[in-house]
Amino acid sequence: MGIDIQHVIEMWPDILKAFGQTMYMIGISLTVAILIGLPLGIVLFITDKGLFLENRFVKTTLGVVVNLVRSIPFIILLVALIPLTKLLAGSTIGPAAASVSLSVAAIPFFARIVETSLREIDKGVIEAAVAVGATPWMIIKDVLLPEAKSSIVQGVTLTIISLVAYSAMAGVVGGGGIGDLAIRFGYYRYDNTIMIVTVVILIVLVQIIQQLGDWTSKAIDKR
Amino acid sequence: MIRIHDLSKEYKTKKGSIVGVNRVNLTINKGEIFGIVGYSGAGKSSLLRCINLLERPTSGQIEVNGKNLTELKGEELRKARLKMGMIFQHFYLISQKTVGENIAFALKAAKTPKEKVTPRVLELLEMVGLTDKKDVFPAQLSGGQKQRVGIARALANNPSVLLCDEATSALDPNTTLSILRLLKKINRELNITIVLITHEMNVVKEICDRLAVMQDGRVLEEGRVYDIFSNPKEELTKEFISSVVSFEVPQTILNQVTGRIVKVLFRGSVAGEGVISDTVQQFDVRGNFLHGAIEYIQEMPLGLFLMEIQGHPDNITRAITYMEGRGAQVEVMRNGH
Repeated sequence: MGIDIQHVIEMWPDILKAFGQTMYMIGISLTVAILIGLPLGIVLFITDKGLFLENRFVKTTLGVVVNLVRSIPFIILLVALIPLTKLLAGSTIGPAAASVSLSVAAIPFFARIVETSLREIDKGVIEAAVAVGATPWMIIKDVLLPEAKSSIVQGVTLTIISLVAYSAMAGVVGGGGIGDLAIRFGYYRYDNTIMIVTVVILIVLVQIIQQLGDWTSKAIDKR
Repeated sequence: MIRIHDLSKEYKTKKGSIVGVNRVNLTINKGEIFGIVGYSGAGKSSLLRCINLLERPTSGQIEVNGKNLTELKGEELRKARLKMGMIFQHFYLISQKTVGENIAFALKAAKTPKEKVTPRVLELLEMVGLTDKKDVFPAQLSGGQKQRVGIARALANNPSVLLCDEATSALDPNTTLSILRLLKKINRELNITIVLITHEMNVVKEICDRLAVMQDGRVLEEGRVYDIFSNPKEELTKEFISSVVSFEVPQTILNQVTGRIVKVLFRGSVAGEGVISDTVQQFDVRGNFLHGAIEYIQEMPLGLFLMEIQGHPDNITRAITYMEGRGAQVEVMRNGH
């Protein structure tokens, strides 16, 4: 199981391209996950029992939808969403197409993470804001988000790392990416060199993301 | 003025409903400091939280400055809360915002114009004695300082009422005293009605004008603090008072005492020792003090003496009648043997 340096150099442009595709897919799906998942997570939290916008109907409906998407195995979601992908990305193959399914999977994942982060906030702090006469929007903006931001950053880290793993399956729809390269060359063609190189890249990538996430989360926490 | 009318609060649990507050009627006058005392689970916290509708009462009404709060919802309720400050045992400051931002948050809730926020924050910080802490985060403050920030936040929008939920229970005795003095100053200078709940009778003795004693969701006894301290009616009230004014005499000492033991209570301006020495001189009895103290409640002295009286039984009886005639309240604890 040696590494063929010549082969790595030969494949380097492909590896770079795959890395770029991974970044592309993660970038898009993470952005969508934050844009939609963050508000969704907030709504899931503030409509809960005893909170300032308690609403059982909204809470239950959203909860069921979130669970529904989360319970579908990603590979099935990837195929099941082909019509939606065609509509949004204009094509059913390529990194853009894969980003649609990745986003759909990442939204409820991130929403639950946000909801959990918000639950960690001392209820008393929220209550104090209610007692002060703050509007719901003020409580979200000036209490919930600041108090949970450190924990939400950890959640973003977790989401990115999960997306790195999910994106490996994007090969099914020709999404490309590092993980796809590892599967196609390393796994199907017994190309150990590519297998090792891609896995090492993924390991390093995940380590860096985790470190960055931990550092940011700590740096912004004022407790 | 706060009027609590026939207020009840029930909590639904899996095992049925629990009564937190049971048909309470109270009137709290404008500008007074009103204490609600009780053990945990007595319903005092629920009652307090019903006043600004953090908890919605099951039945009954809350009227603040003539407005029935229980009818309010949403935006109207939010606006009413701007005029009612609240402070908490665990302060509940926004940990990720500075002291100044925490106070500004309350001002923003009242839509204070931007240019007026900073001057008002500084004014409030000066009032609570934390001028140099504006840009500090709560984690760097002591408990007493955090409570001062809580007070500044509660007072930001010039409320007419300040609700204190065990505001000093997490603080050491010295800090408690300084916070109580601050509350009293606020009450006197800004004429803000303060409602506080506590399980510490010391707090009541220190600053309250009137108090109510609660048990099992009901108000057992209410009245002026001085009256209740000098003449408690309920067993529970006596228990609470004994935590401040205790007259425990060791049993071994009591066993050595042979005369009649009486408890003598002087209220108001009566100089207790003078009456006792007059009595001893006039009636040929001897008095031994077993315990004694003068407590100052609301700046009025309350003298309580536990003494042994020796002498002829007739003289003792006459001595007691004499002391009663001079305004003392005498209770025979034990007849001599």
